[in-house]
Amino acid sequence: MGLRERLGKEWLFCDGGTGSILQKLGLKGGELPELWNLNRPDDIKNLNKGYFDAGSNIVNTNTFGANRFKFDNVPEIVAAAVKLCQQARKEAGREDDAYVAIDVGPTGKLLEPMGDLAFNDAVEVFKEIIKAGAEAGGDVVVIETMSDSYEAKAAVVAAHEVCDLPVIVTMVYDETGKLLTGGGVEGTVAMLEGLKVDAIGINCGFGPKQMLPIAERLVKCCSLPIVVNPNAGLPRTENGQTVYDVDPEEFAEIMGEIAKLGVHVMGGCCGTTPDHISTMIKTVKALPFTEPKTKNFTYVTSFADCVEIGRKPVVIGERINPTGKKKLQQALRDNNIDYLLTEALNQEAAGADILDVNVGLPEIDEPVMMESVVLKIQSITNLPLQLDTTDIEALERGLRIYNGKPMVNSVNGKIENIEAVMPLVAKYGGVLVGLPLDEDGIPATSEGRLAVAKRIYEAADKYGIPRKDIVIDGLAMTISSDPDSAIATLDTVKGVRDIYNGHSILGVSNISFGLPARELINSYFLAMAMQNGLSCAIINPCNGPMMASVRSFNALMNLDPKLEEFIGAYSDYVPGSGVAASSGAKASSASTNAVLTLAEAIERGVTGRAAEAMKEQLDSGRDSLEIIDAELIPALDRVGKGYEAGTVFLPQLLMSADAAKAAFAVVKEAMSDKPRNIKGRVILATVKGDIHDIGKNIVKVMLENYGYDVIDLGKDVPPETIVDCAIENNIEVVGLSALMTTTVASMEDTIKLLREKKPGTKVVVGGAVMTQEYADKIGADAYAKDAMGTVRYCDSVFGV
Amino acid sequence: MPLCVDIPIKEVQRYMGYHGIAEVTPDMQERINKAIDQVGTQSHPRIILKEFAIEVAERTVVIHAESENLVLESESLARNLSGCLRAILLAATIGPSCDMLVRRASVTSAADAAIYQAAGAAAIEAFLDSENDRLKREYEKDNLYLRPRFSPGYGDLKLDHQKDWFRLLDISKQIGIELTDSLLMVPTKSVTAIIGIGGDVRPSGCSGCKDCNMHGKCEFSSEKG
Repeated sequence: MGLRERLGKEWLFCDGGTGSILQKLGLKGGELPELWNLNRPDDIKNLNKGYFDAGSNIVNTNTFGANRFKFDNVPEIVAAAVKLCQQARKEAGREDDAYVAIDVGPTGKLLEPMGDLAFNDAVEVFKEIIKAGAEAGGDVVVIETMSDSYEAKAAVVAAHEVCDLPVIVTMVYDETGKLLTGGGVEGTVAMLEGLKVDAIGINCGFGPKQMLPIAERLVKCCSLPIVVNPNAGLPRTENGQTVYDVDPEEFAEIMGEIAKLGVHVMGGCCGTTPDHISTMIKTVKALPFTEPKTKNFTYVTSFADCVEIGRKPVVIGERINPTGKKKLQQALRDNNIDYLLTEALNQEAAGADILDVNVGLPEIDEPVMMESVVLKIQSITNLPLQLDTTDIEALERGLRIYNGKPMVNSVNGKIENIEAVMPLVAKYGGVLVGLPLDEDGIPATSEGRLAVAKRIYEAADKYGIPRKDIVIDGLAMTISSDPDSAIATLDTVKGVRDIYNGHSILGVSNISFGLPARELINSYFLAMAMQNGLSCAIINPCNGPMMASVRSFNALMNLDPKLEEFIGAYSDYVPGSGVAASSGAKASSASTNAVLTLAEAIERGVTGRAAEAMKEQLDSGRDSLEIIDAELIPALDRVGKGYEAGTVFLPQLLMSADAAKAAFAVVKEAMSDKPRNIKGRVILATVKGDIHDIGKNIVKVMLENYGYDVIDLGKDVPPETIVDCAIENNIEVVGLSALMTTTVASMEDTIKLLREKKPGTKVVVGGAVMTQEYADKIGADAYAKDAMGTVRYCDSVFGV
Repeated sequence: MPLCVDIPIKEVQRYMGYHGIAEVTPDMQERINKAIDQVGTQSHPRIILKEFAIEVAERTVVIHAESENLVLESESLARNLSGCLRAILLAATIGPSCDMLVRRASVTSAADAAIYQAAGAAAIEAFLDSENDRLKREYEKDNLYLRPRFSPGYGDLKLDHQKDWFRLLDISKQIGIELTDSLLMVPTKSVTAIIGIGGDVRPSGCSGCKDCNMHGKCEFSSEKG
């Protein structure tokens, strides 16, 4: 029988530790154990056989670290390991009921944005291992000891793209049930279930006793078969050898306790031996087996957060969507991602649970933009995202690199649309918004909409997407053109709850299109919808009345324990003002600054006042260029000179820079239809291998304030990218940053390539270890000791 | 939320470049306090350490590990460890949260990014200092005295040795630090070091700035000017 048919139907057992056994056989520190597949095959075969003999059904090949970062002959090493494991199984007489598991460990590299390994590169690394293992005849893929859910996702995607074998994933949590990258048990399980793995579990980290509470949490939230593979307790050194403090009897006893919680596959990790495994099997086999139970939670997750849908209304921030938003449209055209990130942070601060991300504009490459925006947003917020697009390629790119289980907006009842969207959600996982409209358009009545919703549920069944992961849109449309539309929408929401026991969602503000005082209608409609069972509200969380509606509803329905959230938000509420007083408090502190001139506000670094003063000057009819030349730049110069003289310190300079930036933003907005006057264009990049970008970002802010157009290529940028960009945009000055002596080498490579491909380009370099001497040695045109130095240098090149 | 690391304000200000000359405005102070609070509560400090027998010659230090003898060629480390028979190898991190806080701050304010950066730097140092003190007290019970921490990349000890630290301490798996191709650690607020265990008290707690590769251009140096 295949493993897939047996998982969750009967007790199955994994193998135990490898490292400590190989060390006893003479494995040296620093020696790669996977090399033994080729050099000492009998030892590896015997290691595997020991576990088959002990009764393990799933025995790992010796391929934990067999990746291309350590070996240049990965396929050979993996194939040899699979063959040895197969021979061991044959010699143990276990060919009928035991499986050869292609063992996949972490790459040893951290994925972007924290580290330097791109998600899709990680997928390729895993594909190489798994493909070799599958071709050699492995029966199952075991992805283990993962402490980063993102890396686990890369491995699962790889497995599914190269073979049809069952996939088991076990993660390492700490004592509090968190991954090293911050994710919790529930969120990780939701993501892995969405990716359609065959079993989920925990391994390594600590002994069985400490693992018990985490196993308990796993049992509560996981619908799939559960795997538990602990260490033999804690390691200590005895006579120069690492030993573990839990012996086979104690191990078996605690594993028996864990078994009773309702787990399905058990084995060991570091320090466990065939003795531990056989003793454990005796104990566990005597216990009754319970099959996995399907849980009815709907989770949307990020790498760190887990938002439950259905327990209380979930707020989805709608601000990152260009429809009807001129500034956002312009930001997308200018590739000004910081604008989108600011919207993300503002919505998070206002109380959003999930952020909608829609980057669709006709003149934009949406798939590329979706990927880049999702990567950037998930690097600065814990909030899960809702990928909102009608472009199927953009959807796939977003789903693939998303770190967690996102919401997907949306699928509709049209056959063609279902066939395009559902396979992607089935592959990557996601909570899918279903629009109850089809080839015949939008049904006018709730009955019509509920009928389409039913077909969407049935289609989801066909694609293996659980019904709990479908969220039906009630389709709010303005009451100004159809007076019955709110009623039809509310009835649809109610029907989804009462008839289908399902979840619902609304783009709430559509209800008031064309009306005055829209927030009045919107917030009342939202309250009514929640009362009718609405699960998710797509709203602007920065709008006071909308959030007041949500918080009041939660308070009234006992969904806000101790009213903490409500009191926290409105403890200083001013009656009649309609807003929390905290924004009023800001206004009063601003009023003490109201006397500051633009120049003073910039010198003192008062951001809000600088923007305000700029606006006042523009409103009074003064020419923007004159304001910039007469006030803004001189003020910035005074601070800059103070910094150079050592009387003003970096944070003060930066606060002034922030204030100047805010004032510029006001000018930019006022002149959005006029061409801008720029001094010159400059590329900035932190060179390949270096992930430090604070210094570079400071230089960027200063250059922009002094009137330069900066193309910021980010950090860890390969020489080719910098050179291509310089050629494409005919750039005169390139600024390179490196913090470490080790990355100065890639600075030199970049300069060499620039000299070769685009001679004449000026290169200015900076960074902590950089000196004039270094700069000369690597052939740079100039060394700037700080941000002001770069500004001065650019001024000299551009002759200003 | 409780503070996971006690971050001294003075240190944050020092990393920001204040030398007591310029005034810290109330607005700045408020921002610093917020950064200290967030970095302090969101950090997850972890440390891994292991004691090894060592052999110190004039220009080399040999670490005797379970299954290998690691040779470190470095005159400055040999000087730091002279007279020691054992040493502690360690790695510590405050976790990935601080890096995210810096990224978030970078979106809206260069000043805040610099402040969070400084708070993170002060946090990892404060965490290491408190661990260092704890070790110092423990060893002093046995009349053993700890030398100042020394890290790969200091003086003439090559940064390449990061890889050795990662192997000997199994750092990635134990506390979640990874090395990039260019030998940088992520999370960035992480440290690897060696601490010598000696039988006598050395007069200075600090080996001074001459062993540092920032010597002569460091804005934090006490030997400046």
